[in-house]
Amino acid sequence: MDRKDQLFKEIFDKNSKKIFHLCYGYTGDADSANDLLQETFLKVWQNLDKFRNKSLISTWIYRIAVNTCLTYLRSEKRQAKDELTENIIENKIEEYSEKNEQIALLYTSISKLEENDRLIITMVLDELPYNEIAEISGISEGNLRVRIHRIKQKLTEIYNQHARI
Amino acid sequence: MQEFDHIEALWAKHSVDVKISADDMLKQAKKDVSSIRTKSLLNILGMGVSFLIMAALWLFDFQSWTTHAGISIIIIAIGVYTIILYRNHQILTKSDFTVNPTEFIASLKTYQLSRHELYNRLYWFYTIALSLGMIFFFVEILNHLDLWIQLLLIGISFGWMIFCSTLVRKAVIKRDKERIALLIEKFERISNQFKETD
Repeated sequence: MDRKDQLFKEIFDKNSKKIFHLCYGYTGDADSANDLLQETFLKVWQNLDKFRNKSLISTWIYRIAVNTCLTYLRSEKRQAKDELTENIIENKIEEYSEKNEQIALLYTSISKLEENDRLIITMVLDELPYNEIAEISGISEGNLRVRIHRIKQKLTEIYNQHARI
Repeated sequence: MQEFDHIEALWAKHSVDVKISADDMLKQAKKDVSSIRTKSLLNILGMGVSFLIMAALWLFDFQSWTTHAGISIIIIAIGVYTIILYRNHQILTKSDFTVNPTEFIASLKTYQLSRHELYNRLYWFYTIALSLGMIFFFVEILNHLDLWIQLLLIGISFGWMIFCSTLVRKAVIKRDKERIALLIEKFERISNQFKETD
């Protein structure tokens, strides 16, 4: 195994779980999250040589993942799958009903948020430092704090609305 | 009524398992490409087998020069087409997406154009050569058979060629184009997305 392979393996092992969680939060289903995870790390693999250590490698990977997730739904072909994703989420509620209905409800609520908000909140929930989230999402830290506050309120509101149904 | 703390706790509680390893992931990424490579290789092998079958006809003792000319024309046509197929196959194998994505996408586009050429202009040359070869070949062979068998064999041979040149060719062109276009789109999307994050 050469140096690049070894480095990639280390990076994958260290970051894949968080990236998968981010993708899962964004899509609400494991299969799509898996696709996005693969696409993200494929880009990491191709561009590993170009990484210049200007930021943390995890930040760099998050940026790639966020972009991958955003492009995922914007592509025309994925739009149809987005509708499918909603169905999957709906189905998951039934699937989870015995296991953990609340978690399914959480993913449903996240899916109701606007695309960028979805990604920001998943990073917040993954406890990424605000300066990193700001760098990844390209929003100033001051604006980000206000935005996160708003997203938290909105998500809680959606969650409670669905919980009452 | 729940607070955001409750949502945070739920998120933390939901552990996810990544079921794919780094090695599997890279293998998976290469799978789509390898499927096109395998199909292209099978295509070449099929042509190779046809070449051998036609060449084996020389084991029989034909008297007329027309039969030898017919077999030669058919064999040359198959041989040339096989070489073209092999060159196309080389376009696919010379670069790897995981090593040089830009070069790989360019190769895929070149491959797509070559396939288009193969099923259009070149295909007609191939069909004309095969038909000519068969006409020469049939001169001696059909001479010993009853008229109705002669007509039947001519009908089946040329009917099959017309069927392949029209319906089958159209379906293959369509399927081939869609498959390669989908791959190009996928790999371009991956590369373009990265440019956005650069």
